[in-house]
Amino acid sequence: MNIRRVFASWRHGTRQLPFAVQFKKFQNILERNNRVLELMADMGDKLGGEYVFDRHYIEQITERLGAQVFQLISDLSVLSQRKNVDLFQAFEHIRHQLEQELAGHPPVSGYDYVLPLEAIGAEQAEQAGSKVAHLGEARARLSLTVPDGFVVTTRAFFDFMNQEGLLQRAADAMEAWDGSDETLRELAADMRRRILSAPLPRGLAKKIQIRTDRLLKGRPNGTQLAVRSSAWHEDGESSFAGQYASILGIGRDGVLDAYREVVASAYSATAWRYRVLRGFREHEVAMAVGVQILLDGEVSGVLHTYAPHVAEGVMALGMVRGQCAAVVDGSAPVQTLTLDRVPPHAVLAAPPEDALLAPAQLRELAEAAMALERYAKRPQDIEWTFDRQGRLVILQARPLRFWAAPDTAEPDVVEATRDAEIIFSGHGHIAQRGLAAGPVRVVRTDKDLDTFPDGTILVARHTSPRYSRVMRKARGIITDIGSPTGHMATIAREFRVPALVGAEVATRLLRDGDEITLDCSQGVVYRGRIRALDRFELTEAEVFEDTYEYRLLRRLLAHIAPLNLIDPSSESFAPHACRTYHDITRYIHENAIRELIALSERHGDQHHSTPKRLITTIPLGLVVIDGGDGATCLPDARAVRVEDIACPLFKDFVIGIDCGMWRTDPVPVNLGSFMSSLTRTFSSALAAPDQIGRNLAVVLPNYMNLNMRLGYHFNIINAYVCDEINDNYIYFRFMGGVTEFIRRSRRAKFLAEILERFDFRVEIHGDLVVGRVKKLDTARMARRMRMLGALVGYARQLDARMHSEDDVRHHVQTFLHATRELCGGEHDHGIDDPSAPAAHPCSR
Amino acid sequence: MTTESTTLPPRLRILVLDDEPIVCKRLKPIFQKSGYEVETFNSSAKALERLKDHAFDIVVTDLKMEGADGMQVLDKALESSPRTRVIIITGFATLETAKESFRKGAFDFVAKPFKLGDIIDCVRRIETELRAAPTDQG
Repeated sequence: MNIRRVFASWRHGTRQLPFAVQFKKFQNILERNNRVLELMADMGDKLGGEYVFDRHYIEQITERLGAQVFQLISDLSVLSQRKNVDLFQAFEHIRHQLEQELAGHPPVSGYDYVLPLEAIGAEQAEQAGSKVAHLGEARARLSLTVPDGFVVTTRAFFDFMNQEGLLQRAADAMEAWDGSDETLRELAADMRRRILSAPLPRGLAKKIQIRTDRLLKGRPNGTQLAVRSSAWHEDGESSFAGQYASILGIGRDGVLDAYREVVASAYSATAWRYRVLRGFREHEVAMAVGVQILLDGEVSGVLHTYAPHVAEGVMALGMVRGQCAAVVDGSAPVQTLTLDRVPPHAVLAAPPEDALLAPAQLRELAEAAMALERYAKRPQDIEWTFDRQGRLVILQARPLRFWAAPDTAEPDVVEATRDAEIIFSGHGHIAQRGLAAGPVRVVRTDKDLDTFPDGTILVARHTSPRYSRVMRKARGIITDIGSPTGHMATIAREFRVPALVGAEVATRLLRDGDEITLDCSQGVVYRGRIRALDRFELTEAEVFEDTYEYRLLRRLLAHIAPLNLIDPSSESFAPHACRTYHDITRYIHENAIRELIALSERHGDQHHSTPKRLITTIPLGLVVIDGGDGATCLPDARAVRVEDIACPLFKDFVIGIDCGMWRTDPVPVNLGSFMSSLTRTFSSALAAPDQIGRNLAVVLPNYMNLNMRLGYHFNIINAYVCDEINDNYIYFRFMGGVTEFIRRSRRAKFLAEILERFDFRVEIHGDLVVGRVKKLDTARMARRMRMLGALVGYARQLDARMHSEDDVRHHVQTFLHATRELCGGEHDHGIDDPSAPAAHPCSR
Repeated sequence: MTTESTTLPPRLRILVLDDEPIVCKRLKPIFQKSGYEVETFNSSAKALERLKDHAFDIVVTDLKMEGADGMQVLDKALESSPRTRVIIITGFATLETAKESFRKGAFDFVAKPFKLGDIIDCVRRIETELRAAPTDQG
């Protein structure tokens, strides 16, 4: 891709392109913008696990996305006849980061020596090591309490080890190793000596000290710290249990020495031998080091969420009074218990008289443990403690692996599923893969969420992001209606809750309390708990969410999908603030509209007419550009009346926005505030149309393109009608908003329901609602334009009013009722009635 | 002597070949769970070696690979066992390659990324067909 080529044909003062050509460019931008959003949604969907994808897919889609975004900037450059160097720079920066990610070198930015636990999730596993990354996830996703702390990253490790060539030395030594224990011991002793005496890289010691002081601030004197290994692959396929050092009970001044000590433990003879046996290469060694507050535990212990060697369907618990170390190293007598894996997690043998934990504590622990297992999709080996305040703190959680199939007389997975009753299969889409076995809980209202029991499977009519409240408790989710690209699907993926959406028949076939097994890799719901399936999933060789490809996709998306540029009136709405591809597309879209107005201004008298302010009873702040025969007023007029517009589509739209809304006055919607917010947004700009740059309509006799920003939402309507019915279409797009996720999504749902009533094919991707309707005759298209006018106005003031899910229903009804006459009563029956008069209350 | 009704048909054997380990990792458990015996390979040389001395009912193979590509694997698989059904999976799907695979006798041609459900459906269709067809092995 050559930026110069794009500008090669440009010289200052070159002849301007005809408006039609520029307008085409503008349309290209809109189309490309959609393609970018679709590619982004496609990548997001792949995280759900329904698809098999490979590295080639990841590379290819990243490249395609990059090419589209680059082209988008080029299109804007043609349109604006500016070089947009800063945009290209922002683009190159993002692309470089993506390339680095793809090449396996996470970008240097955000790849610090030291990271606080709050900044760590699974995406940071390369920097923070797996152990600390797991704790970060448990804290962030599952709201579990973990010890406060920070991590000295693998970047620090590499710089530390490379400074005196120690990594190379280790690699060379292993290359030359003769295989004898004695040589290995000598090598290990030499490495250890060198590591303990090596200087820390510039700035590292200071950073660790500052973080340590911050960690200890406000805590009692004598608070002790734990310094723990968090290496690559530790807790992965190989457990490395006990191979690397953890140093407990040190004070502020001991941290740096402890750091070196933990790093050196990566090169102990036993660790080295372990790696050789398991086939690890030297370049796969990287040691991050966690520094945590050492908790004063009242009762501590270890829990295995799955213990088939004890009994099928149980978890095993070992605990001591005091700190956890005694359980792990076996230095104190341990009290053991067996709990049912199934809620309410009953104690399976008579508890000892001197039980260390109360029943409520046991249950809290068991629920937290199962939440960790559900999230990791793998049985867990958990170190935990109840501190002096009675808080449950998770010290460590790592996958529990079974090298041999558990010895069991139970049927295997194939026999078990063959004999099981299938309640339904072949319905719906998988939003998040996985397996869930448990009782059904049907959710109908918000109240049902308040009492949602832990470990049950949520069954509901519709998907809803308000279910995020119970994501930690839900074992699985099944809905009759919903899309795998909707908000709830995104949340289910974040929490990794197996979710089947759009299953149509779920609420009809499932009742509260039914015991079922939901298999979200095949899309089957079985009657009863199928333990063999559960066991099969728990002992699977590798969990999809742990694969490199999954993590890579998630890391790439972090440079692509988040939207940081929200408010176009803010100063940070600028190229230099574009941190993701989404930001760039948003910026370009906003500016393309601004450009088109400016362009039309410049062309002015020479080619076509001047941009014109539309005169309406409602001050819409709408600028109209006549693309050719679209208006009957004088070409240089600065204002135009609705009746002078020669585009029936646009006229219908304005009728909708104007009359429809005023007519809804009696319904409990505060139109005053709606209109005042409209006026407020644009009043200052009304005097100078070229500075509005937001609300723009391009009209031709049978075409209109509308770009409208109301508050923080963006609306695009693109429509074409002619006598050839097959060419007719309306494209509607609604995006954005700064209210909280749930309200935005309620509004999206409202829009979707209305649009669907009017035969639009609707897609919801996150913030974006897209509706398309095609091939209807002119009269029906006209009624839909009127409806859209009313809808755009109505939706503007809705975000703040969507207090509950019931409001969606209510507003759908209110809107349909209020626009009944305006839209010719079509939606009453869900079908067109050609005989119905297309009358609206205020035809002029 | 056992009767038809109590004898279960033998599990179909599937060979999966893809040079990207992730594809094998994802397909193996889903096929196993669905009742098939699965072997996976990341190198076509090793897979071809295995195909020489062992007949599989179904071969699922990637197209573009180092060494022998999917078309060669298709040829070899059918050559050593005409009963074998071959599914080609590829991230470089074009009309030409699809046509060529069908011409050479592939059962199906699936573009990556694909849904787990779709590949299972495909395998089930083969299973129905194989079970209905008379076999010379009895």
